[in-house]
Amino acid sequence: MTESTPLAVELRGITKRFPGVVANSDIELRVARGEVHAIVGENGAGKSTLMKTLYGMHRPDEGQILVDGREVHLRSPNDAIAAGIGMVHQHFMLADNFTVLENIVLGSEPTKGGRLDRATARRRITEISDSYSLGLEPDALVEELGVGDRQRVEIAKVLYRGATILILDEPTAVLVPQEVDELFGNLAELKREGLTVIFISHKLDEVRKVADSITVIRRGTTVGTADPRTTTARQLAEMMVGAELPTPATRDSTVRETPVLRIDHLTVPGAPGSRAVVDDVSMTVREGEVVGIAGVEGNGQSELIDAVLGLRVPSAGTVVLGDEDITDWSTRQRREGGVGFIPEDRHRQGMLLEAPLWENRILGHQTRPPAVKGAFIDRKAAREDTARIMSEYDVRAPGPNTPAVALSGGNQQKLIVGREMSAHPRVLLAAHPTRGVDVGAQSVIWELLKDARAEGLGIVLVSADLEELIGLSDTLHVMLRGQLVATVDPRQVTPEELGGYMTGGHEATPAGAA
Amino acid sequence: MKAAALLLAGSMALAACASDEDTGSGSGGSGESSAAGGDLQIGLAYDTGGRGDKSFNDSAYAGVEAAIKDLGGEVTELTPNADASNRVDLLTQLADDGKNPVLAVGFAFADALAEVAPQYPDTQFAVVDSSVEGTGLDNVTGLLFAANEGSFLGGVAAALKSESGHIGFVGGVESPLIQEFEAGYVAGAQAAKPGIVIDRQYISPNGDFSGFSDPAKGKILAQGMFQGGADIVYHAAGGSGQGVFEAASEAGGRAIGVDSDQYETVGDPALQAVIMTSVLKRVDNAIQAYLTDYSEGSISGGTDEVNDLASGGVGLSTSGGQIDDIKTQIDDYTQKIISGDIEVPTTP
Amino acid sequence: MTLVRRVGTLLLAPALAVAIAVVISAVVMGLLGVSPVQVLKVMVDLGDTPSQQITAVVAILNRALPLFLAGLAVAIGFRMSLFNIGVEGQYRMATIMAATIGAAVALPAPLHIALIIVVAMAVGAIWAGIVAVLKVTRGVSEVISSIMLNFIALGLASYLLTGPFRGSPEGASIVSTAQIPESGRLGGLNGVFDVLGLANPPRQLYGFLLIAVVVGVVIWVLLQRTRFGFDLRATGLSPSAASASGVDARRMVVKTMLLSGAVAGLVGLPDLLGRTYEYSSDFTSGLGFLGIAVALLGRNNPGGIALAAILYAFLDRASVPLQSASLPSSVVTIIQGTIVLAVVVANEIAGRITRRAAERASRQSSGPPPDDSMTTRQVPGVVSEGTP
Repeated sequence: MTESTPLAVELRGITKRFPGVVANSDIELRVARGEVHAIVGENGAGKSTLMKTLYGMHRPDEGQILVDGREVHLRSPNDAIAAGIGMVHQHFMLADNFTVLENIVLGSEPTKGGRLDRATARRRITEISDSYSLGLEPDALVEELGVGDRQRVEIAKVLYRGATILILDEPTAVLVPQEVDELFGNLAELKREGLTVIFISHKLDEVRKVADSITVIRRGTTVGTADPRTTTARQLAEMMVGAELPTPATRDSTVRETPVLRIDHLTVPGAPGSRAVVDDVSMTVREGEVVGIAGVEGNGQSELIDAVLGLRVPSAGTVVLGDEDITDWSTRQRREGGVGFIPEDRHRQGMLLEAPLWENRILGHQTRPPAVKGAFIDRKAAREDTARIMSEYDVRAPGPNTPAVALSGGNQQKLIVGREMSAHPRVLLAAHPTRGVDVGAQSVIWELLKDARAEGLGIVLVSADLEELIGLSDTLHVMLRGQLVATVDPRQVTPEELGGYMTGGHEATPAGAA
Repeated sequence: MKAAALLLAGSMALAACASDEDTGSGSGGSGESSAAGGDLQIGLAYDTGGRGDKSFNDSAYAGVEAAIKDLGGEVTELTPNADASNRVDLLTQLADDGKNPVLAVGFAFADALAEVAPQYPDTQFAVVDSSVEGTGLDNVTGLLFAANEGSFLGGVAAALKSESGHIGFVGGVESPLIQEFEAGYVAGAQAAKPGIVIDRQYISPNGDFSGFSDPAKGKILAQGMFQGGADIVYHAAGGSGQGVFEAASEAGGRAIGVDSDQYETVGDPALQAVIMTSVLKRVDNAIQAYLTDYSEGSISGGTDEVNDLASGGVGLSTSGGQIDDIKTQIDDYTQKIISGDIEVPTTP
Repeated sequence: MTLVRRVGTLLLAPALAVAIAVVISAVVMGLLGVSPVQVLKVMVDLGDTPSQQITAVVAILNRALPLFLAGLAVAIGFRMSLFNIGVEGQYRMATIMAATIGAAVALPAPLHIALIIVVAMAVGAIWAGIVAVLKVTRGVSEVISSIMLNFIALGLASYLLTGPFRGSPEGASIVSTAQIPESGRLGGLNGVFDVLGLANPPRQLYGFLLIAVVVGVVIWVLLQRTRFGFDLRATGLSPSAASASGVDARRMVVKTMLLSGAVAGLVGLPDLLGRTYEYSSDFTSGLGFLGIAVALLGRNNPGGIALAAILYAFLDRASVPLQSASLPSSVVTIIQGTIVLAVVVANEIAGRITRRAAERASRQSSGPPPDDSMTTRQVPGVVSEGTP
């Protein structure tokens, strides 16, 4: 790193306090022009606060921000854009029923006589698309685009506004492996053209693949920088959490003979006129077995889980729990019968955000002790048991009366896992159990699942994290367009191969053959 | 969805309380008519809507005003809230404040009077449109109107002036009181022109008093009648009558007003032109007479004062001169009713 | 959280709403050239003699009773995000049916009154049940169907009153049902004033007050302390999470609407059993809509609704003395109207404040103490792990 050219971005001693808490303290960050600089850290470590500071969404209490060697004062995102800083958010902010062109120019439309000057806009967008190999079609409707394309639209939108420094917030979280590779290709193009990219992630393998340099954040401050060429993912992770790390891998099989959940030719109809969302799926989960389901999102995994839980009515097939046919049971009967549930979207299906933790402890277990006595809620017991879960499962919150919304994603998830485990289920439906949680919580959750499996729990695991799937599963199915198209051996398969099956690129092996 | 429904709920709640928005304006006039402070300390409790309705309540006020001019004194006016649940409070307040007599405008005060009047035996009450005979309230006087007789003359006028032989009636609320208007009107029209076609419609069913304050719906009903061939429509619909006048103006037809001389009160020259006559219910005369009697000490209470054609309590207005040509026929029917040759029905 | 703070957060939104409304109203009054101080003085002046003061209190409580019940009925629906705009029609149908059946039977007093109450609740529940059935079988929005049913109730009640249920003589200016006999009436509670050594005015405090208190407590227990209440509230907070937890959303809609309708059926009873003893064409209307405002103001909590109903009734009562003092009584309407809007705004603000406080608290408990991070901080560049 030469000091002759000024750094693209330099942060000196940035401190940001919120009432009662220091979100960032004494942050030091040096990003050279024309590099991809990764910022890694656990969820809640302060990455978002830092990026909001840099994007002008709030002002630091102390410290300096230097862009191209000159100090800047960013009062709003507009100031940041004027300074050449652009941000690609994790959740895309695109209008679905607008075209690519319209989305890109939205908010800074070139006008001619008060009307949108489409010709100028189209010319500039084509220029941007060509010079960075983004491959955009200006007239395509955004709603028809895939996730990767949408992300490129977001990038183009930032470039259109003249940004030379791009902040990408967890850009790979929503992408499948093949799309991740394409994104990295785009980043290389940006770099070649002299742009600077700040890349936020907690996926360490990706970071090592794409970044030129890495800054690690822990507990609100920068703890060090690392060279991706010489640092292993494990070393990085240990810097992030400040301790040694677990892995998802479980190699000792605890699978027993007794099946706890049998799904037979289960079919769930889709919208009228479209194909079935779950199409003739059969599988068996035995005691102590983790059955993984891999697949690109939207291929029927959620619907399969819903059908097993009784939230969707199948048009054919049966679900057998232990030796009882539960196909016609209500959701409540199923949950009483021992089906645990970790939902893929905990805010939608797993929590009452505005309710206190102790009420969330009751959710899904309204008919069972300890929180319920007859027709009444046992508030005292519910609070006590919530406190127990909080300490046993390391849920960090002031107490059982705290509203769930105040907790970080990881702590919410640990509460859900603790709650489900406390009911001693026979089968656990775990959909993306570690999505959006930090490394520390992730390892806790993995350990919990492994322990429960060892005690004989059967687990259906749906995940987009292929490492997690491969590491935890005893049996691994691949789901594509509602069908189980392949069954692979998690001990043999690589994430790349699995990605191939998921996108239909590999020739499918007959289900159940592995 | 949630926000939208909240807004909806909020606006409906607002609407529920907003309808008495202008009631306050009516109260500002207390004492202004006679600050001198003569003998009379009159309490005036309006029906819903309060002063400014260009009809019933205004007519009552006019009577009080005229009485004060003659006799001196002052008046305190109170208007009920939107759902009229506080009529008892109105009367209690007036009686507590030492007002005497206390005038209640509208039959809806009957129940409230039954509760309040016995508590204030030294106060004289009067109620418009409600009979007190047989109720045992000996300090309440009922001021009644033979609305059927006035409406009979309205029917005669409409029948004689109609060129199409087809007339209409728009009632505000299908209550017995308004049905009396209808009955008289129909009887009068048929007497003057047997076989005449009479459309009869009410804006709202009994129990829903919106029919007295819904000009839009009044207009729709009247439009239907004009389109169906009617050329004169009589309304007994309070504030909704405005819509009937508008419909008449647009259709080139004519209308008959009610209660007060609406030719004088409507205020809009275009609408004035269509008001052929109004069936007067001289609440002002009745109240003025009552107040005069009161000041002379000749009120006994517990009785009804019936204001009919004979006493001049009801009749037809002639402002605008549109019915001058049929004056003799009208006078003829008036005499027959007064003499008892014609018995006007009270129910249709 | 201490009790004081919990009560504090509970009262934050309504207090804020009332404050906003008072400020706006004061500004409006100022623009109208009316002295807000004078208005306030008239509002709080309950009368000169003890008898007048007690009468004023009785008037407020009697007015607050139906408002409380209407607010409660609305709030039950609100608690699970069901907007029962149909309380108006529900209580109208319930009152006319209860009045008619109450007048038609002869039973010993407690049974007679119980029968009337049961009929009212049943009719209210049935009328609300139509909304629920339409929603779960045909997906009709409860807002639309309950508004439509209000109109139908209005027409139907009018038809029944002037037709089969008519009890008043032909030609009477007010059409009413037959009178409920003595055994079906609820006496007043003015005996309490004698016991307390207060003046005992002729105006009777409705005996239904006791029943309303019981209903309020029962609803509170049901919502806050039972499994059913938990399921109901969970469905309101997150329908998807509730159904994943085993709540049958459709059955919940039906049960909630039936409960809401049953309470709505009681709205007309304080007047019916305590004063009018008959349903008539001028029976108080519009209470169902006021109930929406009261429920909002009371934050859908029975205790809050009781306070909100009393506040509303207090303001209503003030309109008469205000007129008497030559002040515009429309300030009452302005205050009530602004309170409704202010409460929506204030709920949002208070929600944010409490959430932020909670977030701060949990960040403090889960996050590192700032001092700790300062001491363990490694200065970049000096200790750069992995960098040669």
